[in-house]
Amino acid sequence: MCSAILDVLRHRKQDIDIILLTLKKLSLLFLSILFVSLISRGDEEKSDLWSLVYPEEPTIPKVTNEKWVKNSVDSFILKKIEDQKLEPTQSAKKDKLVRRAYLDLLGVPPTLDEVKSFHEDKSPTAWGKLIEQLLSSPRYGERWGRHWLDVARYSDTNGMDENIAHPEAHRYRDYVIKSFNQDKPFNQFIIEQLAGDLLPAENLEKKRDQTIATGFLSVGPKMLACDDPDKMRRDIVDEQLDTTGRAFMGMTFGCARCHDHKFDPISIEDYYGLAGIFMSTKTLTKYSVVAELHHFDMSTEEEKEKRKQISNIEKKKSEKGVSEENKKKFEEEISILKKNLNTPFEIMAVTEYPTKDLRVHLRGDYQTLGDTVPRRLPTALAGLIQPQMPSSQSGRIELARWIASDRNPLTARVIVNRIWRWHFGRGIVPTTDNYGELGEKPTHPELLDHLALYFIHSNWSIKSLHRLIMQSKTYQQSAFAKESLKKSDPDNTLFARWKIRRLESESLRDSILSKSNLLDFNGGGSMMDAKKHKYANRGKLKEHIKSNKRTIYLPVMRSSGYEGQNAFDFPDPSMINGNRNSSTVTPQALFLMNSDLIHRSSKALADLIFSKMPDEAIDEKAKWLISHLLSREAHNKEINTAVSFIKSSAEKDEKAAWSGLARGLLASNEFLYIE
Amino acid sequence: MMELCSNKLPTPMSRREMLKTSGIGFGGVALNALLSQDSIALRQPPNLARTKRVIFLFMHGGPSTLDLFDPKDALYKNNGKPLPYDKPRIVSSKTGNLLASPWKFKQHGQSGASVSELLPNIASISDDLCFINSMHCSNSRHGGALLELHTGSDTFTRPAMGSWINYGLGSENNNLPGFITINPPSSHGGSGAWSSAFLPAKYGGTMISGKGSNMNIPFIKSPLKERSQQRKEIDLINAFNKNHISNFEGNTELESRIESYELAFRMQMAAPEIQNIEDEPDHINKLYGADQKPTDEFAKQCIMARRFSEAGVRFVQVTHRYWDSHGNLKDEHTKLSKEMDKPVAGLIQDLKQRGLLDETLVLWGGEFGRTPVAQGNNGRDHNPHGFTMFMAGGGIKPGTKYGSTDSFGYHAEENPVHFHDLHATILHLMGIDHTALTYKYAGRDFRLTDVHGNIISDIII
Repeated sequence: MCSAILDVLRHRKQDIDIILLTLKKLSLLFLSILFVSLISRGDEEKSDLWSLVYPEEPTIPKVTNEKWVKNSVDSFILKKIEDQKLEPTQSAKKDKLVRRAYLDLLGVPPTLDEVKSFHEDKSPTAWGKLIEQLLSSPRYGERWGRHWLDVARYSDTNGMDENIAHPEAHRYRDYVIKSFNQDKPFNQFIIEQLAGDLLPAENLEKKRDQTIATGFLSVGPKMLACDDPDKMRRDIVDEQLDTTGRAFMGMTFGCARCHDHKFDPISIEDYYGLAGIFMSTKTLTKYSVVAELHHFDMSTEEEKEKRKQISNIEKKKSEKGVSEENKKKFEEEISILKKNLNTPFEIMAVTEYPTKDLRVHLRGDYQTLGDTVPRRLPTALAGLIQPQMPSSQSGRIELARWIASDRNPLTARVIVNRIWRWHFGRGIVPTTDNYGELGEKPTHPELLDHLALYFIHSNWSIKSLHRLIMQSKTYQQSAFAKESLKKSDPDNTLFARWKIRRLESESLRDSILSKSNLLDFNGGGSMMDAKKHKYANRGKLKEHIKSNKRTIYLPVMRSSGYEGQNAFDFPDPSMINGNRNSSTVTPQALFLMNSDLIHRSSKALADLIFSKMPDEAIDEKAKWLISHLLSREAHNKEINTAVSFIKSSAEKDEKAAWSGLARGLLASNEFLYIE
Repeated sequence: MMELCSNKLPTPMSRREMLKTSGIGFGGVALNALLSQDSIALRQPPNLARTKRVIFLFMHGGPSTLDLFDPKDALYKNNGKPLPYDKPRIVSSKTGNLLASPWKFKQHGQSGASVSELLPNIASISDDLCFINSMHCSNSRHGGALLELHTGSDTFTRPAMGSWINYGLGSENNNLPGFITINPPSSHGGSGAWSSAFLPAKYGGTMISGKGSNMNIPFIKSPLKERSQQRKEIDLINAFNKNHISNFEGNTELESRIESYELAFRMQMAAPEIQNIEDEPDHINKLYGADQKPTDEFAKQCIMARRFSEAGVRFVQVTHRYWDSHGNLKDEHTKLSKEMDKPVAGLIQDLKQRGLLDETLVLWGGEFGRTPVAQGNNGRDHNPHGFTMFMAGGGIKPGTKYGSTDSFGYHAEENPVHFHDLHATILHLMGIDHTALTYKYAGRDFRLTDVHGNIISDIII
């Protein structure tokens, strides 16, 4: 009885949906007629949304204080400052600048020698040389690759309902680090992450790299225990689609799953046109509970053949009635085959599925279907002339090429703004992941366009963009500001000074370890001790965090994580985040006072002092420790404070007192902030 | 701070504004105010709050509430017969015919609430409780349903309800976190059930795990032997920081970091005091069952929950597990009920005798219930379609029953209550309009109840 009523209601709902759809189609028809008639009248119809209008090269503005300007960036910045009748702040001192550059590009502070050599280089090219030196360091990719991993919501486990391990995800992480170190053109980086498996490759290594890149689509969080596999598949597609849109274009496609986007020009049809592309992509191999992610072996043909032979021989060996003599012979054969044979090259990535065009899911419900939408790009963004979607391929490569195109109005703007944000702590577009109607507008629209076009013309080179930004006077300003400036521009939207900001959780840990001489720069590969499709063991977190490797190489576990890292705003790895929060909360103080990291590092520092300068006086030791940790000369007042601390220490052991001094310095604002 | 100012909260006062309007800089402002930087704790709740704090007794695994609070005559009569209507389209396991409850029920107190013989202590306080027999959610798996219960979404990562409340109201006690979860499940969503997701990290839950007096706030214990030494170290940090900040006068972030060490130092004093459950008097230990097996372990967690709550922690969760009786229902539910019954009843009685029950909302329940049809011959499958939760205190009508399931106990029938409705009601009781507590993320305003949620006004005093 009950279910009969429900059925009637459901049908009624379908009817209503169909009526609504028809009405919508009629109104669309009406609008298109209106639109066409407007065009035929010669009125040029432009999108209202600033970010969808292709950037034009702006003229470089004229400024009064021309002497201040070092490059084009400065003209745009200074113009706005002068418009407000303000002045930019002074230049940063050399010791601040060198520490800033190291922390910004490498994520670890400079050594005293490195500070010294920059100080001693009085040539006008000293700064440029330093930038080049840092950009060519392998540490650079470990720092900037991590920024990208925030956007790629990278994790070594699934999280969500079933925290299944991603034991091969590290390959994607290492691919990202390598790509940043190689300065891979960003448009190529995009295409590889969305469709690398479909690109031609001259050799196996390249083929592997490109396929691993599509781990971008695999590493997202998924509900893996869902009794409704059809719903699960659609949820996974939705996550891929929304992440792709926001990561590369700042567009929130996910909103159009149930209805036309309320604010941005993305219709429900656009959504299902894109969803078809991902539905034609193989991300999982098993959809029943607990679902399994797509893994495959990319060993060489020779290795595969050897493994086949081994298994054949093993089969023969285990047959009944095999003589001991033959068994021995088989074992010998196997051991010869196994010699120099690598373990299988497993990767977690996507491949193709049979293609599928989807019907619109009314209100997002796959049981209430509207018309079929062929796989295509969103019309308001890509226009009516669309690339032909192949019938034998998902269309990922067409999607990727369109996103990565020089003519896409969003992509270059989004990435140059991300890079700017990661340098300055604030984006030109403050909402780095949202360029829609609800995102914030750029504070410096001309500068943004200038940077986007510069970036495209420099072959999408991120390192070129670093050079341009860091060579600007804007970047080299001091963090100090006059009262008038602070009052007029408290949030530094004019970029008229350096925004002093706390080290991110990774830089903080790496800096502490590096200053204690504990940091192990050998990284890469997996620290996970887990098998594919099996649960992640979060008990291992306690072991991982004891490691001295750079933080980027510690496994990232969703639904848990390292308490210390989380306290310092390590973002939830389930969600894309190009604009990390930077909070000041008590658990940070507790961490800096009581954690294992801070205590073993401060102990190592005390040992270091005594092995380095066993016989020096207290003030000499203190002087060295202060300048070592803060990467600058120590002042007399500070040395006195340190000396009296050591002398009044409640610790019986002198070394323990020095550990205390080291802890105090590591917990001080000057150490914790990029100034 | 930025993210809050850009969000639609009725006139949140930013720290900067506050410092500006109070006309005093660093050092002159009350510590209290300094520490509530970028929270909205200074605001009075927009409508009248009926409760100040929540204690959530989470029954992980999905207790069979049919066997605890929802007796069905039809089940006894039709034991072993097929369910007379279709089973749901989506199920988690294969089930057979109807299975009568192996336990007897009696009506208790003036309210005449039906409680199973498994729970004599809870039965004895049923006049203080409000049973919602018509709970339902949409996900038939632990992870999905658990996240739905805690965050409102079984599809995406969203802030937990404790984080929303913390974000909405801030802390009552600046020496303690505003959201604490004691021994939460590490599976089925893990920290997803206490995470701040896109809200600022400070609103996330603090996990305390361990046993007895070893349950600790992370990093709360100093490895230093001498407390005076740590004081000296903080003085040293202060000396360096004061020197440094002279270049950055008015930088509130740097100022509050200086303060945060003082706070941490005080928290180190306050937390162990609260966590030291050993100093509870005998009669209290007895009341919760902390003095004997098998109740002692959960009892200690409930005592700790009361102590945190009493000290002003807005949202405290305690987890009892693992109620997932697909087979061996009789033994498992007997054992689990024994462990849970006395501590829960003890907690509610204790709050009442301290006069705290009026301002503390106690919520009891699992991520779903269990089916009236048998799995094997002594088990029940997950049932998200109809089950019972109960509440007590904090503005809830005592001795009441709300909603019901169908005659077999499968589906919520009369006055169904979805988790969204539960969330809306809890926020309402705390003085928060669930449609107004929003946070802008990824291009839209999010809220705990998404686009849903009806306040169950019938159960509110």
